[in-house]
Amino acid sequence: MSEVMIEIDNLSKWFGDFKALSNINETVRKGQTIVLCGPSGSGKSTLLRCINGLEPFQEGDVIVDGTSLTARKTNLNTLRQKIGMVFQRFELYPHMTALENITLAPRKVRNLPRKEADEKAKQLLERVGIPEKAHNYPASLSGGQQQRVAIARALAMEPKAMLFDEPTSALDPEMIKEVLEVMINLAKEGMTMVCVTHEMGFAREVADEIIFMDEGKIVERGSYEEFFNNPQSDRARDFLEHIL
Amino acid sequence: MAFDYNFKWSILWQEPYGMWILQGIGYTLLIGACAWVIAFILGVFIGTLRITNLRILRGIGTLYTEVFRNIPFIVQIFFWFYAGPMIFGPILGPAINKIPKLNLYVAIIGLGLYTASRVAEHVRAGYASISRDQYQAALSTGMSQIQMYRYVIIPYCLRLIIPPITTEFLTIFKNTSIAMVISVPETTFMTYQIDAETFHGFEATTAAMVIYFFIGMGVVKIMDLVEGKFKIPGMTGRG
Amino acid sequence: MSFDYQVIVEYLPFLLGGLVVTFKLAGLALAGGISLGMLVGLGRISDKNWIYYPVSAYVNFLRNIPLIIIIFWVYFILPIIVGRNLNPFTSAVIAFIIFEATYFGEIFRAGYQSISKDMVGSAYATGLTYWQVARYVTIPIAFRRMLPSLITQSIITFQDTSLAFVIGLHEFVTRGNIVNNLEYRSIEIYSFVAVVFLVLCYVGSRISLHFETKYRRANVL
Repeated sequence: MSEVMIEIDNLSKWFGDFKALSNINETVRKGQTIVLCGPSGSGKSTLLRCINGLEPFQEGDVIVDGTSLTARKTNLNTLRQKIGMVFQRFELYPHMTALENITLAPRKVRNLPRKEADEKAKQLLERVGIPEKAHNYPASLSGGQQQRVAIARALAMEPKAMLFDEPTSALDPEMIKEVLEVMINLAKEGMTMVCVTHEMGFAREVADEIIFMDEGKIVERGSYEEFFNNPQSDRARDFLEHIL
Repeated sequence: MAFDYNFKWSILWQEPYGMWILQGIGYTLLIGACAWVIAFILGVFIGTLRITNLRILRGIGTLYTEVFRNIPFIVQIFFWFYAGPMIFGPILGPAINKIPKLNLYVAIIGLGLYTASRVAEHVRAGYASISRDQYQAALSTGMSQIQMYRYVIIPYCLRLIIPPITTEFLTIFKNTSIAMVISVPETTFMTYQIDAETFHGFEATTAAMVIYFFIGMGVVKIMDLVEGKFKIPGMTGRG
Repeated sequence: MSFDYQVIVEYLPFLLGGLVVTFKLAGLALAGGISLGMLVGLGRISDKNWIYYPVSAYVNFLRNIPLIIIIFWVYFILPIIVGRNLNPFTSAVIAFIIFEATYFGEIFRAGYQSISKDMVGSAYATGLTYWQVARYVTIPIAFRRMLPSLITQSIITFQDTSLAFVIGLHEFVTRGNIVNNLEYRSIEIYSFVAVVFLVLCYVGSRISLHFETKYRRANVL
């Protein structure tokens, strides 16, 4: 049994009076790929942001690689170096080139000298398939290219786990494939991943577990085959009908 | 820290200084209100000129706006006060200079002209934000240009620009303080006078700050009432 | 009525000397005002109440007060605090920085708020601290987006320096007044002062417009 990478322990979160997440419990082991799906507003993105502390939560705990988010002496900035995150709208820094986007954190957080950081960044750009775009600004890159740079930027800190928030939802259909390819390779190389996505092809290929959420709760979980061929709940059945 | 300054807040209500301050407040309000009337009417006019069809009218509007906006108000007030009467020639000029309270009139008119250029900018921006289709819809019902402006565009524009206009209304009262440079006895001038006589300028200036703050609150309150009265239901005012 | 612009030529060095002071004053006011404004803007979007409320109180209070009063107030309070008389230039610079920072602060605040939450989130997600995110992401992006407004406000600051007249600072307008008191050629003198400002500020506003259209066309940022 491989070690536990992310543990979510009875997590609940409110936005004011609105309860966005209710008693979420989940264990993600090293190397696993978890796919989170559900209707919009179900809390999937919120849960993702709770994992790396971008969203605060009121009850429960998240333990990443042995470090609890709620423990007093935990430094969130240090913790975030262990988790990479990729966003729906890429969110590349518009005033920096692709290379600079990737090297910013390694240089300023890890104090890596510029030459070394640039070298590593170029390797990452090769890994995601666009080494020639190193000196381009985001505005001159296609959506698919920007998202791949965003993945490289997240990988630059050598994280132990990666979070993906609907990484292909903002992409034109022709570009979804190139990004999914990178993600699939990442999963096959053994990265621990939690992905919010509707790309069921991706899920079929690499997901170890599918979690279905609705109204802030985990309604159902299972393997790809279990979830698709034999959904237990009505809500899951409804959802599947709409996306397939 | 050498702290050998005697704070003497009591001068604020000692005679004659207390009366001076009250008189100053009165002049501040008077100048602001009168100048605002000029500024608003003239500003709407000039702003409207800038979107008319005639190139020469637009040119006049733009010229006015650029000239009055790019020259600091203090320079304008000096110009009108010292150079202004001279423009009227060797006979009328000196006669004008003898008018009592000339500085007060110069302050009001000068502030009105200056602020009008800023109001004109807001008015122009207001028109620009109204979609072309709105104009065309009005015209398509058979209205003339003038009717369209009078019944549709101008009323709509004025409601749109209430927030920046509120800022200008606030600013005009602040700018009355500049009238002190031509010795108009408004609040800031009185502050300066009190310091000249008593050397307690710090207390007087602090009092002036509080006064202007409350004038500002008053202005915002008034504009809130105006906005409430003219509100268009369903339109988002605040973001 | 005769115009005699000879008086301008005669006093040109004297007047231009004042213009130099005006530029120095404006330069320092802008450097300080923009720097402080960056921080004030951050304070205005802070979710820590002990920062947000004092900064907001400062901004909202100062925006109701005329600049002349603030110039006087600083001029009167500084000797009390420091214990000796300071020259008017220093008081003027401090007064301008305090005042203009509120306006630049609001401009930066709008810039910061235009940056999506996820953009900032993606920077945090790589482990950058608050000040690193502010320095490398938030402030640079806001600065570029708000450049037209920053230039416009800078022009206003430049015009505002003329108010230092009231504490006897020898800037451009003060010197114009001095010449006027000597020569009484008011029309020539004040029209000259006015035209200089007109040209400088008009050019400034054109530069601002240039950046506005350039960024809008490129849809950068």
